[in-house]
Amino acid sequence: MGSNTLDKAKSPALAALLSSAVLLPAYQSAEADAPPESTEIGFRYGKYQEDTVAGSDTLSGQKSERYDIDVAQFSLIAPVGDSWSVGLTGQWESMSGASPWFSLYGADGQQKVIMSGASIEDRRAEYGVEARYFHDEGNVGFNYVNSEEDDYHSDSVGADASLNSADGLRTYTLALSASVDKITPTQGVAPTNTLKADKDIHSIWVGVSQIINDRSIFNLGLGYTQRQGYLTDPYKYRDNRPDNREELVLSGGYRHFFDDQNGALQTDYRYFIDSWDVESHTLELAWVQNLNNDIQVTPFVRGYNQSQANFYSDVAVDTGGYYSDDHRLSSYSAVSFGLRLKKNFGPWRVSATAERYESAEGRWRYSQVPNKALVDFWGYSLGFTYNF
Amino acid sequence: MKNSLFVLSIIALTGCQTVEPWERGILAKEEMQWQASTMEARFRQQMFNSKEASSGTSGAAGGGCGCN
Amino acid sequence: MKYAFKAMGGPCVFRIKARSEHIAYHHAQAAHEEVLRLERRYSRYREDSITSTINASAGKNSVSIDEETYRLLNYADTAFKVSGGLFDLTSGVLRRCWDFRSQTLPNQDEVERTLTRVGWAGVRFSKDEVFLPDIGMEIDFGGVVKEYAVDAALALLKKRKVEGALVDLAGDIGAFSNGFGTPWDIGIKHPRSPEKAVATVQLANSALASSGDYERCIVIGDRRYSHILNPKTGWPTNNAPLAVSILAPNCLVAGSSATIAMLMHSSAARAWLSELGIPWLLVDSDFNTYGTLAGI
Repeated sequence: MGSNTLDKAKSPALAALLSSAVLLPAYQSAEADAPPESTEIGFRYGKYQEDTVAGSDTLSGQKSERYDIDVAQFSLIAPVGDSWSVGLTGQWESMSGASPWFSLYGADGQQKVIMSGASIEDRRAEYGVEARYFHDEGNVGFNYVNSEEDDYHSDSVGADASLNSADGLRTYTLALSASVDKITPTQGVAPTNTLKADKDIHSIWVGVSQIINDRSIFNLGLGYTQRQGYLTDPYKYRDNRPDNREELVLSGGYRHFFDDQNGALQTDYRYFIDSWDVESHTLELAWVQNLNNDIQVTPFVRGYNQSQANFYSDVAVDTGGYYSDDHRLSSYSAVSFGLRLKKNFGPWRVSATAERYESAEGRWRYSQVPNKALVDFWGYSLGFTYNF
Repeated sequence: MKNSLFVLSIIALTGCQTVEPWERGILAKEEMQWQASTMEARFRQQMFNSKEASSGTSGAAGGGCGCN
Repeated sequence: MKYAFKAMGGPCVFRIKARSEHIAYHHAQAAHEEVLRLERRYSRYREDSITSTINASAGKNSVSIDEETYRLLNYADTAFKVSGGLFDLTSGVLRRCWDFRSQTLPNQDEVERTLTRVGWAGVRFSKDEVFLPDIGMEIDFGGVVKEYAVDAALALLKKRKVEGALVDLAGDIGAFSNGFGTPWDIGIKHPRSPEKAVATVQLANSALASSGDYERCIVIGDRRYSHILNPKTGWPTNNAPLAVSILAPNCLVAGSSATIAMLMHSSAARAWLSELGIPWLLVDSDFNTYGTLAGI
């Protein structure tokens, strides 16, 4: 790709000169891993807005607003010395709105959703810190994240390591994490399923990333996560889930750059299966189009479908075992479309994204009758990063 | 599905060419990374993880939240 | 983005394609530092350079050297052998006899006396040290360090994974490109009219070095005396080329090959260059152009 195809040295004189030159330090191309060359600071604001539930789907017959979340994010990554980098992240959310409390069958035999009455207002603050060490063959990182809400407290630690192959074409990654969460549901008009509970999450991930040629790369990953403790949704009227959940994730990704179009195709696929019998497929496609040196436009699409948990039903009944009518455990498909814009202004990089997510009803339907509480939403975000 | 992924990966691995460090300019471009904007990726993943039964992309699970 | 500075005896330019101008500037600064490092280390004009230390110890004691210096000496040795003795790092002392500004020829006795101080074959070096056997002998890395600096600056930029870079140190150029494989277009100056290009070359992952004497020579009558002196005679070679340009995988090899060609008769030079097997351009004293690059 654009390299002069100089023939292998024909003359002994040239061969002698070239082989002698190549011993000099400048020609020893060691691909050592290194911290980023500049410090990067970033801010981002995002908004998540669910569509209203139609009156025809609620028991009361009234339409109901749903969830609305405002998110502010902060990130700082700085190189420290020759071999370290340090990262700081912060995230603040303010959530309001109603969410499904439980479902019943209406007079017409259809599922009807009862929304939580009063609009909740909740805030969450999350802080994370990361230290990363770079060495000749790769890097190692450690992180700690803390998340606080009125009703939820989480502490997690993680470690990851990357190793580059000798020819630099392959990178192996291993990641581990463990978190301890404490739930103390907010008491309101409706009783909650518990007053105080714990849950632990342990996770491991292995991945390999391979350079295929100077224009394409692909990766494969395998992850295992175990959740133990109180996994039931405390705010749902009829909800009782196992205290154990094991998850397996298989993923693959591909990136290809097209010179003629000056753009890149990004593909990512994820297969998920867990011990509750939920099985899902996720496929994301994005086309990154460079307009000139500074502007990038990326349309993207995401397709998702999942099968239901083995204790799910659209109207939950206390059978003595496990049960839930949470639409998030139902079987359905969803498609989302979005557009991302990025522009450089010297060391500033600004990006804006809008994405529309629609759950399967009608044309995207995946076998079973979709839960009436399935959500459609908009997600917007705008942010910038600055390098210095 | 799993079989074809496996086969695809074998084909890709055997077709790999050597790419010298100085030929990796394009690969270093942002659009050729696995995750371009960490903040945006986190925002999107949190959105999906809160509304779907699946979770996990690359890397270990990390901490939880009461995200509803 | 374009980054200009002065070093290695002339105007230098980096052209860098990176994610943003700001990042490109950072990389340019680092590459600039590398060029200055080499200049500091090998310039014979600086007292603290290894060159000055080696030359001051000539005829007295050996000087300890680092890996990079050893490899440069090793390379100079290879070039000496490959050129049949024409490429000689100790020929720098001959400049003392020649005054190109005065337009007068040197005294033959003086040349012969100075010639006794020229002789790469007598230089003894190993991985750790180098020794010049006679007082008054000098090593001048000028014949290699500028071209090596082009390669070193380029290697640094490659390691930093910029999308493309062009390094031009006072006329010696190296480039690599990943801007969708678009090569860099370089024009080789016409010896008589510098604003015209005698040939254009495309550099994608290679280097172009030129050697020419049209800027510094003595002309007496219709005879031209180049400033590139033959280490065997102390005089410029008769009927040497006016200018030579070579395209090679790296600038060091391109530069030394060009210098070697400039020390031969034009016809011998043409034969040697075509046997070398890489793209070349030669302009002889009658302004005829030859070589595989001439057609471009």
